[in-house]
Amino acid sequence: MGRYLLRRLVESAVTLVLATMVVFLGVRALPGDPARTLAGEEADPVAIDEIRRQYGLDQPVPVQYYRYLENLARGEMGDSLRTGLPVTETIRDALPVTLQLAVFSLAVAVLIGIGTGVVAAVRRRGPAEWGANTVALLGLSIPNFWLGLMAILVFAIAFPVLPASGFVSVFENPVESFRHLLMPSLVLGTGLAAVVMRQTRSAMLESLSADYVRTARAKGLSGAQVVLSHALRNSLIVVVTIVGLQLGGLISGAVVTEQIFVLPGFGKLTIDAVFTRDYPMIQGVVLVTAAAYIGINLLVDMLYSVIDPRIRVGGAAL
Amino acid sequence: MPSVSLLLRRVAVLVVASALVTTAACGPLDDNGDGGDPGDQDRPIRPGGELRVALAEEPDLLDPTLARTLVGRIVFVSICEKLYDVDQDLNLVPQLAAELPDVSEDGLTMTIPVREGVMFADGTPLDAEAVKTSLDRHRELDGSARASELASVDSVESVDEMTVQVTLNAPFAPLTATLADRSGMIMSPTALAEQGEDFGTDPVCVGPFRFSDRVAQDRIEVVKDPNYYDAENVHLDQVTYRIIADSTTRFNNLRSGDVEVLERTAPIDVAAVESDPSLQLISSESLGYQGVTINVGNADGITEPPGPLAGDLASPLSESNVVRQALELSLDREALNQVVFVGQYSPACGPISPASPLSSDAAQACSEHDPAAAMDLLAQAGIETPVQVDMMIGTDAQARRLGEAIQAQAGEGGFDIQLNPTEFSSALDLADQGNFQMFAIGWSGRVDPDGNIASFLTTQAPLNTAGYSNPEADRLIEAARASTDLNERRQLYGELHSVVRPDAPIIYLYRQKNLTGVVDTVAGVEVFGDGLVRLAHAGFVEEAE
Repeated sequence: MGRYLLRRLVESAVTLVLATMVVFLGVRALPGDPARTLAGEEADPVAIDEIRRQYGLDQPVPVQYYRYLENLARGEMGDSLRTGLPVTETIRDALPVTLQLAVFSLAVAVLIGIGTGVVAAVRRRGPAEWGANTVALLGLSIPNFWLGLMAILVFAIAFPVLPASGFVSVFENPVESFRHLLMPSLVLGTGLAAVVMRQTRSAMLESLSADYVRTARAKGLSGAQVVLSHALRNSLIVVVTIVGLQLGGLISGAVVTEQIFVLPGFGKLTIDAVFTRDYPMIQGVVLVTAAAYIGINLLVDMLYSVIDPRIRVGGAAL
Repeated sequence: MPSVSLLLRRVAVLVVASALVTTAACGPLDDNGDGGDPGDQDRPIRPGGELRVALAEEPDLLDPTLARTLVGRIVFVSICEKLYDVDQDLNLVPQLAAELPDVSEDGLTMTIPVREGVMFADGTPLDAEAVKTSLDRHRELDGSARASELASVDSVESVDEMTVQVTLNAPFAPLTATLADRSGMIMSPTALAEQGEDFGTDPVCVGPFRFSDRVAQDRIEVVKDPNYYDAENVHLDQVTYRIIADSTTRFNNLRSGDVEVLERTAPIDVAAVESDPSLQLISSESLGYQGVTINVGNADGITEPPGPLAGDLASPLSESNVVRQALELSLDREALNQVVFVGQYSPACGPISPASPLSSDAAQACSEHDPAAAMDLLAQAGIETPVQVDMMIGTDAQARRLGEAIQAQAGEGGFDIQLNPTEFSSALDLADQGNFQMFAIGWSGRVDPDGNIASFLTTQAPLNTAGYSNPEADRLIEAARASTDLNERRQLYGELHSVVRPDAPIIYLYRQKNLTGVVDTVAGVEVFGDGLVRLAHAGFVEEAE
């Protein structure tokens, strides 16, 4: 396990360096000059040249890359071209917002998805399954932004019970934080809930017809015990894999949700950085995103062994 | 718990409101047309409270010397006063200066008396030396976005404790107007000395409010400044500028009460604001213009001398002003305004706003919509129709609607316009390189018309992406800059319009209005032609909670 972890960590570091390189070259290949974009209406060529010089954009790309790595080694990602604020500070402010949104949404997705998935598998061909299927279909087919706008129209404007926008940290005021995140996480979570529901249902159907379930039933275990302790636990492997893969989707889905609910999160930061060609910011957010993906993958691999002790990471699986 | 009938009523209101929003784009809505409804802004105001303002974009660095965005000026108006300002009628008035400048007869010396008894937010007194420090920083700091605006200034001296003398290298009439914008913002010399280049992260100037906090991409907070010379007439304790990029979301936040002021209300939301008794709309004519810029000579990029276009870019449109006149004749400005902006904006024919004191009948001269005449012109010039043209447009829904409306109208006049939606940064780049035929773009506008004209129409000027060059236009622009006589300048701008209009390097189409949505419980919000939301005297009305 230790050696395996070490190998994965080294691999991750290499992947990260490669990611910085791809991003560094990628953003510079984008059409549109950050100095020109930054100059905005004051597009005097002298001013634009001055901006290039000021931010080192007039240097050859390898020199810029070297400086970037040099700063990175010191834990600095430079200053935003747009606001002049340090990139690390801005990301540090934005990341908790998206993480809280992701955790809340994931909770919504898992609670709704696994619950309806189990019901749909156990009560087959009944109203419960139709109901669950309908919910899943709606969750998958309703676009986030529409659902978000409708939620605001209903719960913030027609019946003003929830705030239409903004963010309060859970550590600052848990109740207000919950009120602010309720709509966004429901909106973001429903899409994922549908996916989780479909996967749970099919994995459960497979488990329920397996021999060990029949054995458990024959041993006289109650229906609930069979479903929850045996069938569901075995089905969770698939579900965890899906949830892990979908987390990436959750972060990109968060872009839209954050725009609609005006959450100063990571997704919004990414979009704004790309549109304003804020090179240091784009590099910062991509680096952090890449690190997050790698971390989540590692975590999912570790979780396998917890859920199913037969799976041994790094060793031979049985 | 609301009753069932109340619930039903609320749902009905919701459905009708949604239907209005979705159909607003399809047809003209009732518009009272006066465009000057100031809302009821004179009700008695109670002291205190936090006002939340939704901004459409994130301001850049809050350093008056380095700032470049229009939206940044909306925050500056609360925290950084200027030597001069404009009043409701766009006349220049003193702000941190005691009087309008005394300009010498040769136009080369400008004497500015500084307002007495003024303190910066950090308690430093305002004097002539502080003004000199700020003006010199605007002119000389590396990366200054003000340097080109103050290029006419040769030196700044403090002649006594409260008087500044500005020496110019050539007469430049728009300088007072320039000092009514960021170039005239005076920063605390104490804060400048302490913070240097980091001034923008904690700006200290003179203003009804002082900077308090900023969270990137979320909000900027300013609080009442007790040191402000007119603090007794400032009612609010705090103003929070929230950044909400999407216009629908912005509007929803106004309706839900999560913000109290909405900067730049979308035209299609105007009907909904006006029909909602809890909201009011402040509307003022903007100083800028929107239109299409035609590449007539930007062959090798904006920094190179203009010349004929080559390859795919060359077309009758770039080569012949008759073809451009035909294009202008085929466009119906009033219909564009009705179809795309539900009648909320105003048709425009030139770079000078009719609201400007320097406007005249000659400066507003306009051709009538006449597609048949356009076809005749093309036929007489022996141009084969349809004339194929590629037009770069923005990527948002409004830009597309405008593009499609232009496309349809120009089609009747013998043009086949291909729309080319291009992301904004890329579009600016392509325009600078001269790699376009036509570009739907505008300008936010400046108080002095020179700011709307010289950079766009003078040969090889920094924003002359059209590649336009006409020695007579250059001469008139220069003469209007040098003249200190208002009537003479007005006449020169009228003449300029008559020289440039037949060349049509830019077809001016419409002027936006500054549409500011405000909740009914707030009064004292002022929005003039410069589009800045002034909150110095704003506050919550007395009967409100």
